[in-house]
Amino acid sequence: MPAHSFRLLSLGIGIVKLLRSSDWLIVPGVLLLAFFFVAPTVEIALSSIFDEGLTGKHFERFATKGAYVEVFRRTLVRSVWIGILCVLIGYPIAYFIVHRSLRTQVFLMLLILVPLWTSILIRTYAWMVVLGREGIVNNALIWLGLIDKPLRMMFTTGAVYVAMIQILLPIAVIACYSAMTEIDRTLPRAAKVLGASPWKAFRHVFLPLSLEGALTSFVIVFMLSMGFFITPALVGGRKDAMLANVIAHNVEQLNWGFASALALLLLVATIIVIVVVRLLANRFVGVRSVGMAP
Amino acid sequence: MTVGGATVEFEKIRKTYGDFVAVDDFTLTTEPGEFVTLLGPSGSGKTTVLNMLAGFTDATAGDIRVNGQSVLSVPTEKRNVGMVFQHYSLFPHMSVLDNVAFPLRMRSVARAEARDRALKALAMVQLESTADRMPDQLSGGQKQRVAFARGVVFEPPVLLMDEPLGALDLKLREAMQLELKQIHKTVGCTIIFVTHDQSEALTLSDRIVVMRDGRIEQVDTPNRIYDRPANKFVAEFIGQTNFFALESEPSTGAGNLPELGSSIPLPESIDARAGGDWWVSVRPEKILRIAEGAERGINFDAAIDEALFLGNEVHYQASLPGGRQLQFREQRGPDTPLLARQAAVRLGFDYSDAIPVADTHPASA
Amino acid sequence: MRFKSTVLSGAIALGLAASPALAEKKIVVSGSGGGLAKVMTAIYDKPFTKATGIEIRRVASTNRVSLLAGMEKTGRVLWDVTELSGPEFPLSVAKGFVRALDWNLIDPDNRLPAIARDKYGVVAASFSTILAVRTDKLPKGKKMKSWADFWDVKTFPGPRALRNRPVENLEFALLADGVPTADLYKVLATKAGQDRAFKKLDQIKKHVVVWWKTGAQPIQLLSDGEVYYTSAFNGRVTKLAKSGTPAEIVWNGGALALAYYAIPKGAKNIKEAHAYLSALALDADRAAAFVKIVPYPGFAPGLYGKIPASMGKVLPTHPDNVKVQFKLNVGFWVKNTEALQERWDAWLLK
Ligand SMILES: Nc1ncnc2c1ncn2[C@@H]1O[C@H](COP(=O)(O)OP(=O)(O)OP(=O)(O)O)[C@@H](O)[C@H]1O
Ligand SMILES: [Mg+2]
Repeated sequence: MPAHSFRLLSLGIGIVKLLRSSDWLIVPGVLLLAFFFVAPTVEIALSSIFDEGLTGKHFERFATKGAYVEVFRRTLVRSVWIGILCVLIGYPIAYFIVHRSLRTQVFLMLLILVPLWTSILIRTYAWMVVLGREGIVNNALIWLGLIDKPLRMMFTTGAVYVAMIQILLPIAVIACYSAMTEIDRTLPRAAKVLGASPWKAFRHVFLPLSLEGALTSFVIVFMLSMGFFITPALVGGRKDAMLANVIAHNVEQLNWGFASALALLLLVATIIVIVVVRLLANRFVGVRSVGMAP
Repeated sequence: MTVGGATVEFEKIRKTYGDFVAVDDFTLTTEPGEFVTLLGPSGSGKTTVLNMLAGFTDATAGDIRVNGQSVLSVPTEKRNVGMVFQHYSLFPHMSVLDNVAFPLRMRSVARAEARDRALKALAMVQLESTADRMPDQLSGGQKQRVAFARGVVFEPPVLLMDEPLGALDLKLREAMQLELKQIHKTVGCTIIFVTHDQSEALTLSDRIVVMRDGRIEQVDTPNRIYDRPANKFVAEFIGQTNFFALESEPSTGAGNLPELGSSIPLPESIDARAGGDWWVSVRPEKILRIAEGAERGINFDAAIDEALFLGNEVHYQASLPGGRQLQFREQRGPDTPLLARQAAVRLGFDYSDAIPVADTHPASA
Repeated sequence: MRFKSTVLSGAIALGLAASPALAEKKIVVSGSGGGLAKVMTAIYDKPFTKATGIEIRRVASTNRVSLLAGMEKTGRVLWDVTELSGPEFPLSVAKGFVRALDWNLIDPDNRLPAIARDKYGVVAASFSTILAVRTDKLPKGKKMKSWADFWDVKTFPGPRALRNRPVENLEFALLADGVPTADLYKVLATKAGQDRAFKKLDQIKKHVVVWWKTGAQPIQLLSDGEVYYTSAFNGRVTKLAKSGTPAEIVWNGGALALAYYAIPKGAKNIKEAHAYLSALALDADRAAAFVKIVPYPGFAPGLYGKIPASMGKVLPTHPDNVKVQFKLNVGFWVKNTEALQERWDAWLLK
């Protein structure tokens, strides 16, 4: 079985390399990683192209059959948007919190964390209570006489965005917040006394220093939404299928080769998006240098 | 790079946090280009004064003027004061050069010019070679010098420094003090410097402002602060000293020193009879060992408790017959014998070396 | 009484009554674990052992097809009887993992209905995907009676839901389009039939607001009034109605799904296994006791005489309900799911 021998080989090479270096203390960590991440990834990659011999049939099926490309595209676009929106909303929230007194910060972070302790399923159902035909918003609008028939808010792509952002926003806030607490508080002050207006102090000092946190929160939110399927299935419409659904379905049907191919595409797309976003962010937020010394 | 320094006037500045008075009745006028040090124990309000000048904190009452213009309503970034922080506060995401160029870029100086001026400022602190490094690739002393360069590159008329050398070890600190003096000479701006290290204050300053509990105790040149402390607090805070209780003789106007069993003439200006808690301060280096027949104004016997050998100098601790302890110092040549423990000595000092000081209590008390 | 006599007659027929080794006989039965296993042990296994002396050892199992494949390969067949649910049954039959049953041993008097008798299996349990209706949302004086009514958005306006998969829905569409139950899979096997089903689905597509994924969803939707008409699992609708929501099952056109008991090829205790299957399939008293706890009945003859009518009429194997439903052809779907699922996914996004 090619996948198996390859896994052993890569593990072996890794171990030999490590033993030669003096960093053998990290061996357990590396073994763990090799076992639980690298090996499965390699196996997925292999089983997507080996199916009773080398084959491109799984990728061909992806490209030509059904609606896989479309689902893939939608999953990707939606995840990017959710990532961006969560950062755009979460960053100012974190900024607000980090500039409160320590006691207020603890209290506000607790408020942010509470929803994380509620199951996604329950939070998703809660949206029905709010956005449903007989939900709070529709009832209020009808009572106010603004509409006479309930609006369709549930089971739409909009509902998917609202629900996913609500679920993922705390994570974005936490990632931004923890990066912001790392920033030396005298730095924005220093910037101001050196002549920076509040906006410039933010733009040239606070923002670049918290950029890593903003990127991290984008990456986490983006990756999580790439794998989301419960929420879109429960609050979305017929066009809101996510690639994770398709993968799960194919695993159930024992189409492991095809599921592997999809998972691999998902992984590659995720990496590409992360790299591109990082480059863009560094380009637009990074320091405008005066140059190098001669 | 030479800038005229500014005149900075603090007029009856007061700062309260709720009921707590952090700074009160702070009045001070600096000369252009003067090096003024705020000196005082922790919590005495030094940083608060700087912050009010920088615009980080609003004054509760009073006025601050730079070159005659009130700055209280001017936002921080427009006050045009330089500042050097205790922990450098270099921007970790910018190269050394970009850090130094930052104030210029904020003032819309063109890129090329900003670069040239920043390089010049770096040259002034001998750090051109590190221009392309990131701050975390510098040593502590180098970071502090970059912070100096950044604080003066835009030629501010006033430079504020809040314990800028506080994080450095002693050796580096002394070297940096010299360098700072040099920079001050080159730049010529008014410097308001904060420290609670008295020797640093004595070394660097044109004038020292001694603060206690938010109030000024004395403003004077280093040597006058040292030689003529205004009160017991200043005398004790600056340098080492011996205090002897002073009781005035109502009939003669002379002062009795009961611990030494002698008396001194009191100058007209000092009226110990008016009551209060009076002492004389005698610096350890003013107390001398007396050779036979060479009596001074005040003479007394003592026994050596402890000797601290410092090479060119010996610090002694001695006890009077009554048990009271005092310190004295002796310059030492190759022939000077070291006094052994328990050795009996005769000591003395001149009347002029006994500075009468009152123990004034802080305003709040 | 009946149980005893049935088993005894079976035992006599097998010639076991005379065998002295009878008491030592033991068979291994693979099936669901957990609570269901306990119910089975209490209601079926213990009395069976008592009556026949054949001991039952239950093993919990999942992924039975691959386990059977393993046994086939190694030649060590561990089970004498196994439950085979949903798609497992046709797959095991197709792969030749189970043996043909001797129906003369199980049901010598031919009392089971034809639907309960397969060449390779005895029906163990059943559940239906049916049309569920919020009766209070129906237009005044109207009653929904079929999938054709479900498709009739003029007479029955209101939001609808269907399950997000081609299985069952293509059948429902064809029924709505007038295909008789008997011809369903004949039509569906052809390209033209599949086109016809999707074309019919086009008509309802925009009225279906939710394409549900889990069994709990349609129940939630009905109870919240998010949809008025939806496909759903029969057991859950009954529960919903009991809890006070005016919901009703339309049995007409329901998809009846069956799970089976079968005997693995190479099983060692064939006779005892047949005796056990006979006991499972025929005893109405036991079936009644079972159905009161688990609402997935088999076809034990006389079962519906032993339980209250109100309970019986909401069970999938009630004769009235069996008559109007179609039997989900799992074999067809095992063969065609991949292609039709792809078409379904693409169709849904259009
Ligand atoms: N924001 C504030 N709220 C309440 N009290 C404050 C605040 N800032 C400073 N203080 C108090 O004002 C007093 C003066 O503080 P300041 O920081 O000016 O002292 P400092 O002389 O700089 O001391 P150090 O040498 O320790 O830096 C202190 O007692 C301090 O606790
Ligand atoms: Mg301070």
